[in-house]
Amino acid sequence: MKGTGIVSGNGDEQRTLVVVFLRGGADGLTLAPPVGDQVYHDLRSNIAVSEGEVLKLGAANCGLHPAMSGLHDVFKDGGLSVIPAVGSEDETRSHFYAQDLMEHGGAVAGGWLGRFLRYREGRQPTALSAVALGKKMPEVLRGAPAATVMESMDTFSLGKKGVSTAKFKAELAGLYGAETSLLGPAARDTLQALDRVAELAKTSYSPEHGAEYSDDSFSNGLRQAAQLVRARVGLEAVSLDLDGWDSHFAQETLIAPMITRLSEGLSTFYQDLGPLMRKVTVVVMTEFGRRVAENSSFGTDHGSGGLMMVMGGKERGLVGTMPKLDAGTLIGPGDVPVVTDYRSILIPELKMHGVRETVGEIFPGFAQEK
Amino acid sequence: MEMERSDEVTRRKFLMSSAGAALFSMAGCERIEKMFLLGPQPGPVVPPSGKGIDLISHALNRLSFGPDPSEYARVKEMGASEEEAVAAYVDEQLDPDSIDDKRATRAVRRFEAIHAPLAEMYEYKEEFLLEQMTRATLVGATRSKRQLFEMMVHFWSDHFNIDASKEECRWLKAADDREVIRKHALGNFLEMVRASALSPAMLWYLDGRENRKQNEDEKPNENYARELLELHTLGVDGGYSQKDVMEVARCLSGWTVRGLERMLKKGKVSFDSEAHDDGAKVVLGHKIAAGGGKTDLDAVLEIVCGHPSTAQYLAQKLCVRFIDDDPPQDAVEATAKAFSESGGDIKTTLRALFSTKAFLEGSRGSKLKRPFEFIISALRGSRAEVRSELNLIDYLVRMGHAPFQYPTPDGYSDVASPWSGTLLWRWHFAIALARNEIDKKIKVDEADLIEKAGGVAGLSASLLGRVPTEEESASITRSGEALALLLASPGFQWR
Repeated sequence: MKGTGIVSGNGDEQRTLVVVFLRGGADGLTLAPPVGDQVYHDLRSNIAVSEGEVLKLGAANCGLHPAMSGLHDVFKDGGLSVIPAVGSEDETRSHFYAQDLMEHGGAVAGGWLGRFLRYREGRQPTALSAVALGKKMPEVLRGAPAATVMESMDTFSLGKKGVSTAKFKAELAGLYGAETSLLGPAARDTLQALDRVAELAKTSYSPEHGAEYSDDSFSNGLRQAAQLVRARVGLEAVSLDLDGWDSHFAQETLIAPMITRLSEGLSTFYQDLGPLMRKVTVVVMTEFGRRVAENSSFGTDHGSGGLMMVMGGKERGLVGTMPKLDAGTLIGPGDVPVVTDYRSILIPELKMHGVRETVGEIFPGFAQEK
Repeated sequence: MEMERSDEVTRRKFLMSSAGAALFSMAGCERIEKMFLLGPQPGPVVPPSGKGIDLISHALNRLSFGPDPSEYARVKEMGASEEEAVAAYVDEQLDPDSIDDKRATRAVRRFEAIHAPLAEMYEYKEEFLLEQMTRATLVGATRSKRQLFEMMVHFWSDHFNIDASKEECRWLKAADDREVIRKHALGNFLEMVRASALSPAMLWYLDGRENRKQNEDEKPNENYARELLELHTLGVDGGYSQKDVMEVARCLSGWTVRGLERMLKKGKVSFDSEAHDDGAKVVLGHKIAAGGGKTDLDAVLEIVCGHPSTAQYLAQKLCVRFIDDDPPQDAVEATAKAFSESGGDIKTTLRALFSTKAFLEGSRGSKLKRPFEFIISALRGSRAEVRSELNLIDYLVRMGHAPFQYPTPDGYSDVASPWSGTLLWRWHFAIALARNEIDKKIKVDEADLIEKAGGVAGLSASLLGRVPTEEESASITRSGEALALLLASPGFQWR
């Protein structure tokens, strides 16, 4: 008999969904530049990624930015899907509204990742089911049955560092041991989870398979996520942001280092977890893409269709099709059209993570494409 | 320029008010905080002395968010026997206006943004409004002497749940809390439903504002009509059909609310007769004649609020709140009868519930405190001095029980099982509170608590509502951290 499981006895079965939000509207056409489309080079005569430099994704009509060699390797390993021209129904091109819409999953209350935790099949969520790595609870997790903003493993430990809680825990074990209600088994699980967390906080984490994380906040977050996945504490959902994609000005200078950080962080995570990546799905999304034509300050302005990537969880490699960028295709002031709704990418992933009949509860009002 | 009203302006406005100016000129901030926050010296602590939870502790557990250490003695003094004392306590709590609650009222008034007129709400940042609303709710629940009133606010906030993160509810929920929930918490049910139906926040939350029929092809938006029947009145098994949902939606078509894109009167609710389906309707077997216009709403509310299923459904929910996760049928029947016979008078209904055998003699300590109730009871029981509620909100978010943040219209669950995974944060909170480690703005004085209660045994009885068992006493002694262990112990998780 398993308990209600904060430390899942069946930890190997536990899947974890990591949501990486690229805030600021990341330029899909730089992250995954079109291949064989002259219009792209015409409209971006100063900032287009030259075709020779693009890392090819098989025969697909888009590739990856040259700074994404790490993720390119993941792709070649069958671990990455790249989906261009993804977006939402947003028409405001406002960061705030578009992020909100995409994190809530439409004009609804609460975040879709929060609803996922309420509606997925299986165990009751626990204190360690969902974490936001960073300083603030993102909208996507709003309404979750339990979610913690975590800056370090110490967040979970009882009491301040350095003051012993051993006696306290021993007495709790005794008192709850006699508890015949549902709190009895819940307390046992909680005490085990605390022991694991204490161990984690004590020992420094050593990544495996030769992985070496960079020392930036994004990589540090992923490193903590990897540590929690490894510790099998029942982690089901992780939210992590990478900010700073709003490249109105001198785009290449601004976002090249971000692209490196993104690619290195994710590919190191992939390398570190190795075979465990079969149980971990990373979704990378952004509120909107950017205008096709560059502006006069070598930047780009807010657009529509953007990029989504999915890593791990199962065999990947699927690549969507980049639409032709000619005048007949572009929408509004010259934006990449939204060919694929972000929810139709998320739904199969959520199903893999335990959502059955309740997809409609997670994305109310969204008519699912067959 | 007015769009982003800063804290600065708010503060200045406060200072300009005569009370604010007088206070700030005559005393330092620290003293003012104390004047606002600390009540008069509390009465003596005489802890419960029963082996089990006695009737007084039971009533305090259920009608309030847990007692302050002196509350037990105060209630005991109210009558010659436990029964008399509790009857007097129920009377007192059912008449909140008779309770002098100036200090708590003042403490809540500090959050002035949430008391602003509707259209002005839009001038605040939505995060700020949510924070102010949540803090005010915590302050009210912790400090108000009108505990049953606050408990009913807590109940109705779930019953008429609105998640403040949906669209313009960000700005409008504060008004709903004020004009619907608090205004009618102990009033008349029909009037409350009517206020809710026309609440700007509700019109956004359940899409009532989009329910219109201007031509033959337009289908009314049924969202609110369905939840009105399923969640607010008859209950899912209340005997209505899909046809009834559609007919109610037709009756309510045309009511709408002005959005933020409007220059003036943002949030104003109005009836657009052009968008109203003015044909004849039949709701739950009752005919509503054509041409009723905006009065269709009243016709519908009369029908649904007066329906026997509504009395049953409300009685069931109230009994789950105050008696047991699985309340005995006779208690539900007695409560439903009082509801029906009084025309939905909430005080009469509660009085009947508190007179049932199930309430007076049934199982005690059988309701798991939900995280909000756990936190408030810990603050009250430990006489915590709280000068900022921000970290309390963090704990509530971690345990998935922050006010105004439940996404779906059914409200937070009121039974134990969904909350079993919250122990880690309860323990975390207990130890942080007792050790004064939450932050500098939340303080407890354990030594003083123990002294006032006449020792550790007294504090234990005061927090548990009964004398601790031998095991509990031994454990508390061994731990060396009486308050932390008591708050984290199984006995304190139940009410």
